[in-house]
Amino acid sequence: MATRESGRIRDVEKKRVLDDLTRRRRARKALEALEQDNFHEDPHADLVMSKKIPKFNNSLDNPRKKGRKSRGADYYRIKYRKTFQQLLEEDRQLNADGPNYSTAQAPETNYPQRHFCAVCGFPSSYTCVSCGTRFCCLKCQATHQDTRCLKFVS
Amino acid sequence: MEKICCIDNGACNIKIGNITDEKPLVIPNCIMKAKSEKRRPFIGNQIDECRDISGIFYILGFTKGYITNWEVQKNIYDYIFSTEFPVNFSDTKLIITEPLFNFPIIQEAMIEIFFEEYDCISLTKTTAPDLCQYQYTNTQDPDEPPLCCVVIDVGYSFSHIVPFVKGKKVLSAIRRIDIGGKLLTNHLKEVISYRFLNVMDESFVINQMKEDSCFVSQDFNADMAMAKKKYPENKTIREYVLPDCTTIRRGYLQTPGTAKKGDDYQVIRLNNERFTVPELLFHPSDLGINQMGIAEATVDAINACPEETRPHLYANIIVMGGSSKFPGIRNRLQKDIRSMAPEIFTVSVSIPDDDPLTYAWYGSQFLANDPEFDNLSISRQDYEENGVRGVLNENDAQ
Repeated sequence: MATRESGRIRDVEKKRVLDDLTRRRRARKALEALEQDNFHEDPHADLVMSKKIPKFNNSLDNPRKKGRKSRGADYYRIKYRKTFQQLLEEDRQLNADGPNYSTAQAPETNYPQRHFCAVCGFPSSYTCVSCGTRFCCLKCQATHQDTRCLKFVS
Repeated sequence: MEKICCIDNGACNIKIGNITDEKPLVIPNCIMKAKSEKRRPFIGNQIDECRDISGIFYILGFTKGYITNWEVQKNIYDYIFSTEFPVNFSDTKLIITEPLFNFPIIQEAMIEIFFEEYDCISLTKTTAPDLCQYQYTNTQDPDEPPLCCVVIDVGYSFSHIVPFVKGKKVLSAIRRIDIGGKLLTNHLKEVISYRFLNVMDESFVINQMKEDSCFVSQDFNADMAMAKKKYPENKTIREYVLPDCTTIRRGYLQTPGTAKKGDDYQVIRLNNERFTVPELLFHPSDLGINQMGIAEATVDAINACPEETRPHLYANIIVMGGSSKFPGIRNRLQKDIRSMAPEIFTVSVSIPDDDPLTYAWYGSQFLANDPEFDNLSISRQDYEENGVRGVLNENDAQ
């Protein structure tokens, strides 16, 4: 025989709640996205250059003085190809205690964090149970759940 | 006569000119590709020739404010030195800026490129805040030049707060906030894409929108309350007309309801976006970045300096950099720093009247006249005798 149960509790239990770790990962991803230069693909990526264009060698009509030879952009690309992360790591090892890039970072703020609705941008007083995003009213909550909440999980 | 050319090598714009010039040339420091023009990339200000500015793809030599892609950077240099600003390297000394705490390997690359590729006779590395400090201290009261100053450099990749005591940087007191023009543009882009229409591919247009419509709020809560109201009581709300690439080359701001009948252009209604975006500079935590805002970090930086210098530092705060062009930033900083600083100190924040973007560049003339200038620079002879590593070590020792 079926036992009596609360419909509300059943609904809430069905909802997936993101743990702290996942929430932090999402927040980090969002911040990384803000550092990107472009969000779309290179519009010229699939471009096939015509082979008919002759490649001019301008070494004859442009003799460089002193016989110094240009090394070309390739040389520098290969010699100095460290990524930002590698540079940072190297700097940490070489210059461990001095003032460096890592120590110059501004410390944590002493002021409490303010919260804004993720949908409309106004001050918010509510938090989404599933993902921790802020919203300010029922209307914004509905928008949030329809568009963002748990749509991009994992 | 030898000429001296200064290159303020920003991540977004290169400011270049001979120090005797009236003003520098500002050239975007990137290569852009447009959807419409399949065959050619646009280097620097060639973008002005591009008719369709939608979906511009950026290629930058910089990552987080540091040059990591020399191939791109060298292409841009080649273009500038050959077309936009021809430099005769055999009789021109160069002054070039680098980011604070520049990594040794990047310095190496820069020195090698300028001596090997461009055959320059002398290279002086400096930073934009240093130049700014020169410009500031030399243009104030000549009888009593300021002993100390704080430079707030709000740039494209990040913002730095750099206290100077008697012309020297206090390295341990420098503070960096990872918010700059790029992040603000990207944030505005995300907000608009979520609330109105998808503009994720339109960095170029949204960057212009940010420049045209954003301002720094003087009283954040009051402005928020204002933004809640409906038009016409709401004084913040504006419409931004998007460029259509035929008749409207650059978007512009208008008050709602001014559109005439028959105008068929696209508008985006901007409300709280206009001030919440620059607000991030003051409260990075709004976005979840665990750092102090520029006002708080300025106070923190000054507190890290010797106690006897603090009154001088508070009285000489100067703001520069492309992202300090938002209207109202000076007043807001003055107000915020005043409220956090000890009561006995005078707080004075100033911003260059003409252009915070090129302000640092003007300082190069004072650097060039500094009696120390020859010691600070790397000469061709130095380089040839000691090699890249040698010059760098010598330079570091100073």
